[in-house]
Amino acid sequence: MIVNAELFVKDLPGQLVGSLEPISLVDGNIMGVMHDRERIVNHRICINITFEVEGQDQLEELQRIWKSKDIIISKIGSVYQTYTMDYLLIGDIDAPYIEGLINKASAIAKMDAVDVRYSSRTNRSSNRTGLISVKTRSEDDLERLDDFLDKECRNSGIIYVRGV
Amino acid sequence: MRIFICGFGTVGQGFAEVIARRSQFLEERYGQPVRITGAMDSRTYVLDRDGLDPLDLVARKQRTGRVGDDEYSDPTAVLDAAAYDILVEVSPTDVKTGGAGLGNIMHALNDRKDVITVNKGPLALRFNELITLAKRNKCKFRFEGSVGGAMPIINLCHENLRGENITSIRGIFNGTCNFILSKMDKGQPFEQALKEAQQMGYAETDPTNDIEGYDSACKVAILANSVFGRNVTFDDVKITGITGITEEAISMAASLNMVIRLIGEISDTKLEVGPRLIPKGHPLSISGTLNTAQIISDLAGPITVTGRGAGRLETASAILSDLISIMDERSEV
Repeated sequence: MIVNAELFVKDLPGQLVGSLEPISLVDGNIMGVMHDRERIVNHRICINITFEVEGQDQLEELQRIWKSKDIIISKIGSVYQTYTMDYLLIGDIDAPYIEGLINKASAIAKMDAVDVRYSSRTNRSSNRTGLISVKTRSEDDLERLDDFLDKECRNSGIIYVRGV
Repeated sequence: MRIFICGFGTVGQGFAEVIARRSQFLEERYGQPVRITGAMDSRTYVLDRDGLDPLDLVARKQRTGRVGDDEYSDPTAVLDAAAYDILVEVSPTDVKTGGAGLGNIMHALNDRKDVITVNKGPLALRFNELITLAKRNKCKFRFEGSVGGAMPIINLCHENLRGENITSIRGIFNGTCNFILSKMDKGQPFEQALKEAQQMGYAETDPTNDIEGYDSACKVAILANSVFGRNVTFDDVKITGITGITEEAISMAASLNMVIRLIGEISDTKLEVGPRLIPKGHPLSISGTLNTAQIISDLAGPITVTGRGAGRLETASAILSDLISIMDERSEV
């Protein structure tokens, strides 16, 4: 799991390294560190760290070590990597159709965010274009979504254009 | 070295011209001349064991519409009567049956002759059968020009990327579709862009094979078999053409700073041709009639090649490259 934590450490030499070492001790992987010397509260400096640990047990062990070293944890939360894909659907589509499609898709793939836009219907054709932008938490979810949309669109005679 | 050219349309004539242009180079490299000892178009043929003048063949075809005086009904009987070492099969592609080209290639391989072809039909339909036949009869069988014309891809994967684990290939394999979609990027409707492609000679009078994605699907099947070692045919490719792409879809893609391109995708699990959203500036977002392919491999990472996917001399250059490879291999033995 990817975690973001905001810590306050004493304004003394070696405190930054001291707050990072425990992450290695629990076999974690540091992805980013921001040392904010302008944010000082009670003579403590703010450090924002993003790191990856295997699971909840490792995260709890890390929090225990930080506390034992007199490091204050002011915020801690999970951060997930997301995968974004855009899909264009071209054909005789309307909002209820797309909504139904997204509802069915959400049973197959876990989607963090879905955004839909439409072109307006023209006089020349009943066809319109729908743009669906999706964020998922894994590539597997994205692949399942691709397969689902591909099959549904083929069955409904709708042109399906996805990103690469 | 004696060559028989089967099919004397644009590519066949281009190859004859290239042989004329490179005759001195070939003779110096191999110590023997490369002679065209036979040529055949859809109705006529001409044979000469001592060699025919390539430029005379081209001139005659352009003047009379025929490459020879004699007509034939069975092309394999003409091949039997000819004296040749390498068959260059460049007759028109038939993706439904493989056409006469399939019979010609099989006949030559059965006769233990080396074969070079750019004919996609036989390769997209009966690839593994042809490879097996060539191996069994110890024949050399090359087909670089069948995918991407002058753009090197098959031999690049087989020879230059030897030892790599190629995980996927994605590319633009049809210049006609790319021309149409590029024109649509600039606001032209599909029908107008297609008409312009026909006027420029990029699209056939019947553009079905191009715009429905069948031509790209042949190339996808060939790459899947030759690079990924799969056993697939044209019918296994999931195909969507570009006829349903609307101006609204192009505008919506542009609002995301993207373009729509017809992309062929091949991997161990994928075998698809369809329109895709490509970010502007991405190697696959190129405009015009060019072909391009992005090869992803485990050690080298992404490699992109771009080139002219069709054309008289461009495709002939791929055949020349195959000819040199075969002659090099023969010289080593």
